[in-house]
Amino acid sequence: MKLKHSLFTRRQFLNSLLGGWLAALVATFLYPVVKFIFPPTREPDKVVLPFSGFQDMGPNSVQNFSWGSKPGIIKKDDDGTYQAFVAVCTHLDCNVAYLPDRRKFFCACHEGWYDEDGRNIGGPPPSPLRRLTLVIEGGDLIIKREGVE
Amino acid sequence: MNLKEFRIGIQSWFEDRLGLSLITKFLRKKEVPQHRHTIWYYTGSAILLFFGIQVITGFMLVFYYKPTLEQANESIARMITDVPLGWIIRSVHSWSASFMIAIVFIHLFCVWLTKSYRKPRELTWMSGIFLLVLSLAFGFTGYLLPWDDLSLSATKVGTDIPRCIPVGGLWVTKFLRGGEDVTGDTLTRFFGFHVCILPVFIFILLALHIYLIQKQGMSLPLDAERKKEEVKVLPFWPNFVYREMVVWFLLLGILFTVAIFFPPSLDKEADLMAPAPEGVKPEWYFLFLFQTLKIVPARIFSVSGDTVAVLFMLVLGFLFFFLPLIDHKPAGKKGKFITLIAYAVILYAVVMTVWSLW
Repeated sequence: MKLKHSLFTRRQFLNSLLGGWLAALVATFLYPVVKFIFPPTREPDKVVLPFSGFQDMGPNSVQNFSWGSKPGIIKKDDDGTYQAFVAVCTHLDCNVAYLPDRRKFFCACHEGWYDEDGRNIGGPPPSPLRRLTLVIEGGDLIIKREGVE
Repeated sequence: MNLKEFRIGIQSWFEDRLGLSLITKFLRKKEVPQHRHTIWYYTGSAILLFFGIQVITGFMLVFYYKPTLEQANESIARMITDVPLGWIIRSVHSWSASFMIAIVFIHLFCVWLTKSYRKPRELTWMSGIFLLVLSLAFGFTGYLLPWDDLSLSATKVGTDIPRCIPVGGLWVTKFLRGGEDVTGDTLTRFFGFHVCILPVFIFILLALHIYLIQKQGMSLPLDAERKKEEVKVLPFWPNFVYREMVVWFLLLGILFTVAIFFPPSLDKEADLMAPAPEGVKPEWYFLFLFQTLKIVPARIFSVSGDTVAVLFMLVLGFLFFFLPLIDHKPAGKKGKFITLIAYAVILYAVVMTVWSLW
């Protein structure tokens, strides 16, 4: 039945009511499923390491550490300062290595190159290596996500 | 081309290739008899509902579960504390299993009491018994997977039972355990049973079971058969399906409520060298067996009491499987003795279960 000035029939109205209700119901079932399938991000806010393990590094050398489930790299420069990077290529997520004799980071997957400060200088990487903030406090080496206090 | 033509075009493209209209035509013609026992027809689809939930939540649990000695308990601990809504997924899986088994038993006894297994439905009954065994096997193998104290002890007892069978029993025990004792290998093996081997068999048997039911139509209760009167019918689609959906929503509501308020616990990781904890009990649907084995005397006529009990159960199981061939009266006959046995079995199971909880 359709009233004179109505846009839809009573059946259409009831059907869409029922259909909408079913769709909402399905959504409430799907919501927890989707939530469950994607685990929480594992990236830490900061990692605290004993500084003693890094004190004796020579200039232009690197040492690895775990940044959550990713490899992190700590590099000591010629002037004795430290830098920290997430050692993952910005192209397609491969782990990068530092080649001290060439003073470059290298990604073997697609031959990506970064200079000693992590800037992308050759090959496919679209952006520099991700930097982490590094603070030395007493005997601790504190590595933080950039922007975290 | 408007939307409607487009839809019809797609439909006929698939129809030309798959020919599925055979099934939709069948479902449109299918009728469900209406009488005072119609309510039992709903048990089948309720089982399917819970089975479906088991499949979906099972897929989800397998994303995080790690079936090894070192990691099983820990991975579940992580799942219920760390993973978003993990506790509720696990709880629903655990509760839905119980609900499914409970309705399987109801389904079984209403088929038994209404004598629906008689000609021509003997194979439907037999495939149903296999499905029952598979469902219980799912429950038994799933119980070990959390790898806590309780599940370890229950599995030790459960896998030790076949050993009582004189010939070949020991090999069954070894096969189930993957060795002499319950170890990490048993856990991995049970995981394989639970997510790989049992599912294959249950899907095949379910398909057969459902095919047989469609082929033979719904069975009529005795008095309707006897009177040969016209039975009122309801179209399966959409009338009966809508009624089933109401039942489903009701059951879903109950399931989610219990799952949220009573999530299963996770005890500390099983220690293979530790003594069994107190109060070891299997899942509720094995309690009657558990209690039976507890009360049989150690020796009956110089034979181990357990052996007698297990052999007795096996013989009963065989008789049970062949029930349609033993009770092959024409469909209209009542079969009071068979009814009596059914009630006796129910009474026995209930008494034993209550006793074991005492």
